[in-house]
Amino acid sequence: MKLGWPIAVVLIVASGLVGQAASAAPAPSQWEQPAASLAEQIAGILGPGQAHLAIRNLSTVPSEEIPAIRLALEQDLKAHGVLASGVESANSIRVTLSENLRERLWVAEVIEGSETRVAMVEIQHFQNQVSAASAKMLLRKERFLGPYVLDSLPCFSSPDGKPPLLAVAERPHGLLILKQGCLLALDRKPSGFFDGRTFDNLASTQAQTRDSRGLIVTDADGDGFLVLLPGTECAGSYTTSSEPDRPPGEGWSLHCHPSDDPWPILTAGTPKGPIQLKAFYNAARNYFTGIVTPSLNVDLPPFYSEAVLPRPASGAALLIGGIDGKVQILEGTSLKPVAGTRDWGSDFAVLNSGCGAGAQILVSGSGEAASDSLRAFELPAQEAVPASAPLAMDGTVTALWTAPDGKSVFAVVRGAADQYEVDRVTASCN
Amino acid sequence: MALPAAARTRPHYGGTLRVEVEGDAWTLRGGLARRLILDGLTRMDADGVARPALAVRWESENNDHRWQFWLRPGVHFSDGSALTSSAVVDSLTGACGATCPWTEVHAVGSTVVFTGDSPLPNLPALLAGDDLLIAHPGSIPSGPTSITGPFLGTGAFQPVGLSSGVLTLAANDSCWQGRPFVDKIEIVGHKSIRDQWLDLSVGRADLVEVPAEQLRQAREQHLTVAVSPPIELLALAVADGGFLANPNLRAAIALAVDRGALSNVIFQKQGEIAASLLPSALTGYSFLFSAERDLDKARELRGGLTPPPLTLSTDGGAAMQLAAQRIALNLREAGFNVQVADPGRPQHTDLVLLRLTLASNQPRAGLELLMRAVGVATPIQESDPAGLYRVEREFLETHTLIPLLYLPRAYAAGGRVRDLRLSPDGAPLLAGVSLEDAP
Repeated sequence: MKLGWPIAVVLIVASGLVGQAASAAPAPSQWEQPAASLAEQIAGILGPGQAHLAIRNLSTVPSEEIPAIRLALEQDLKAHGVLASGVESANSIRVTLSENLRERLWVAEVIEGSETRVAMVEIQHFQNQVSAASAKMLLRKERFLGPYVLDSLPCFSSPDGKPPLLAVAERPHGLLILKQGCLLALDRKPSGFFDGRTFDNLASTQAQTRDSRGLIVTDADGDGFLVLLPGTECAGSYTTSSEPDRPPGEGWSLHCHPSDDPWPILTAGTPKGPIQLKAFYNAARNYFTGIVTPSLNVDLPPFYSEAVLPRPASGAALLIGGIDGKVQILEGTSLKPVAGTRDWGSDFAVLNSGCGAGAQILVSGSGEAASDSLRAFELPAQEAVPASAPLAMDGTVTALWTAPDGKSVFAVVRGAADQYEVDRVTASCN
Repeated sequence: MALPAAARTRPHYGGTLRVEVEGDAWTLRGGLARRLILDGLTRMDADGVARPALAVRWESENNDHRWQFWLRPGVHFSDGSALTSSAVVDSLTGACGATCPWTEVHAVGSTVVFTGDSPLPNLPALLAGDDLLIAHPGSIPSGPTSITGPFLGTGAFQPVGLSSGVLTLAANDSCWQGRPFVDKIEIVGHKSIRDQWLDLSVGRADLVEVPAEQLRQAREQHLTVAVSPPIELLALAVADGGFLANPNLRAAIALAVDRGALSNVIFQKQGEIAASLLPSALTGYSFLFSAERDLDKARELRGGLTPPPLTLSTDGGAAMQLAAQRIALNLREAGFNVQVADPGRPQHTDLVLLRLTLASNQPRAGLELLMRAVGVATPIQESDPAGLYRVEREFLETHTLIPLLYLPRAYAAGGRVRDLRLSPDGAPLLAGVSLEDAP
């Protein structure tokens, strides 16, 4: 399916800008239309004459806006021959500024003698979305994609509501956004990411897992990529073209097939060159089985997360977050438990910050904290040592991966209303 | 509607979740087991929009007189048999019979077609309701308010045992939505709240009920509680026959009830005073319905008539009995002679204190479902606030149902329960729950 969206999607890394596209209170001029509509209805009920006008506010409209609303109402009523005043009159108009979960509602009770008739006007209501970020922490998060943008993309407006966001990959030619069963490929334009193509129904016919996971693995040359979902593997690419008028999304292709092949989870440098480590994923659950290829000559436990950590002695070590909650480190053929990980959640990724030891493990929080957070740790030996204060996140971290340059970590965060955002987390050295 | 957004490890698979409830897990409306075993053609999301479930899409024609629903392919009942359009038709017909909102339903290929003599604008939302969930044709409940069970569905769990009051459900590995995290759920019914809390405190239960009137106490005891928005309407149903055929007397009863006392004393300020069917959060116009008690006006409407003794009943627990006693006292002050019926002793009653669940947070569907629950089965065509207000006002001016309070639903969870969330109507979403200490 090719798409031509009416809005440009631009990556905004300034914290919170995407989510603040709409403000809580419309500008005063935006009250004019609903005031005119309500005045017309009131005049239709009352007819020309004089009436006492009272306004009360049961909504989140700021109180300083009320005089402007009153003025607009009075002027519109006057235009319809109704002279509104504050003094007592045989007729009265009681306007209540109310609202519900979806919209504002202005209600006029028009009272003539013992008879009361009602008029209503609906006004679209936007909720303010404010991102919380702390500037005093060693770790800093920037919103990479906000819920406002993600919800506006067709891939995320599927009939199934808000399917889980699994992964995002920024490519030279665009941006890939993976959700459960769907990949959105956006073209890169000078003004940002704009237009693209949706690939639907990627998931296999097997039953879905309730804790969805997925992976985008990109080629070093930037044109090819792999998409991995439980039971499904897709090979994709982007083909450049000299045609200036090529339709949006035309360059992207994707071919999927059912697969239980292992997922490429890590690429690590070795004296013999880089090797890619693949792990078998349990498509009916939410973890890797512990069987990896090529073999590491050690039995790994089933695990949720893994990362390669630079080590002074051995060059690199494999860190494993087991489904039993234990974190272990593999150096050579020796698998050892890591202490100090009681507060660790299931997701971690390596951050090459250049601070301290140079690389840290960024870890999501365990279930013991009040809200989800990310925190950097170092592993000088077999004990994890905190290297930063916890960075509070605006929801639950559901996926975490290292950016291609290694200097930042991307986090998918699910908010309380099941809205998703992607944050980029970086570190500054103290 | 969820426990505070908590940090987390990934959910673990396995283990047995132990749940205790005061009522019957098999009960048709609000029964915990029903939602775990059965799915609807649609489901309601948190925004009050009907979303695909067993149907992947639907279209209406002829001004909402005809609806066609396309079934999700590849879905099976927990016994392995395929979900077919004829099975859906049989299930729906068996569920509502002559009271179905549609005139006719039939299978066409892999679709289900509904037709109605009247327009059916709310059909997608109605099909998400508890009473229209899809059961295997060979196991359809026999009555409108209870389940003979066991019966089979397409849901996350399947019933595997019912003994000594313990209903055991096992994970449905082939559930189209994915296997649930826990292996089993054991639901113990007919447990008093006191015993539920005791079992939670000593680790014999993982999930127990918290009535609205005990929410404060639960928080004082530092229980981990998931609370819904106010979605249970406490209302007084008034018979419109006999002495109460006089509309002025029914209006007098509505004016005589002291909602503030009910809220403050019986329900510990945990609810919202209501005089409208839909809560204010859904409409924004509920302030137009006065909830003020006016004893003088009530006596005036009674007009010096000496009513015969009236009977007030309720089928709820202790708090409902106390609320009924309080209402009876209010009505006596207005000159009505009201006796509260003994609980569990069926008899003719003039007044019934009810709890109705707001089954949809989409205003039009929510209003229609509430009215259907009290026997008014007219499809609502209006969709704008002014139109819905008119429908509500016309119905409430009959004074056959007097809204009193909106109350939240709440559950307390033990320390090993993870990711407990409540659905828009306050039911716990147990398919997404996992256990911290699962093997």
